[in-house]
Amino acid sequence: MLATRRLQKELQKMHAQLAPGLTLVKAEDLTEWVLDMRVLDDNPLYTGKTFRLKFMFSQKYPIEPPEVIFVQDAEHTIPMHPHIYSNGIICLNILDKEAWSPAQNVESVCISLQSMLTGNDKNERPPGDEEFVRGNTRRPRDINFYFHDNAV
Amino acid sequence: MKVNIKSWTAVAAWRWDMPEDDVCGICRSPYDSTCSKCKYPGDECPLLWGECNHCFHAHCIFVWIRAETSHGRCPMCRQEWKIVAKVSQD
Repeated sequence: MLATRRLQKELQKMHAQLAPGLTLVKAEDLTEWVLDMRVLDDNPLYTGKTFRLKFMFSQKYPIEPPEVIFVQDAEHTIPMHPHIYSNGIICLNILDKEAWSPAQNVESVCISLQSMLTGNDKNERPPGDEEFVRGNTRRPRDINFYFHDNAV
Repeated sequence: MKVNIKSWTAVAAWRWDMPEDDVCGICRSPYDSTCSKCKYPGDECPLLWGECNHCFHAHCIFVWIRAETSHGRCPMCRQEWKIVAKVSQD
């Protein structure tokens, strides 16, 4: 109930106005939304590229964070970033249960991700990316990230 | 002249003593509306102020504070959530 009404509110607001660089692609129901994101500055790692994000909401949203991943398809790649695994899984503290706040919302998460890319100049994946991507069978919700690097 | 009033219909409006178009940071509904579970605004769906000066529908902040991951902190500023007052009606 909380999730339904709150997501309807967010959707209304996003249909009326959305932060620069963001486009709502799909929000047919209140469990899974797709948004496209562009980085607004001229960071050479990401200029001219559009990245696709998938949000998945549980019934407990916004008490629990949404699960957010980058999506790879024919037109979209996974952005290179030391906190983004090549399968699209994102290591960002505000998306973790322990640092999430219900004052966050879909738009604010997108803006955080935008600034995470804007501030990055490393053309690399997280350490252990290959093993993680090969071996991971868990969904983002069930992964306990260890947040050690506050510099990026 | 003498007027005899036979009947009248009184109409009253109320609102919380809060900025008009502000919304609860948890459910995103206006303060004057209800939390997402209640049907009727007013005394049955009150607002609470925290010591940190943030305000939520009582039912919304209770759900958050009961969640283990809230660590008892305000969603807006992450200070410890302590109730100072119920919001009065204007």
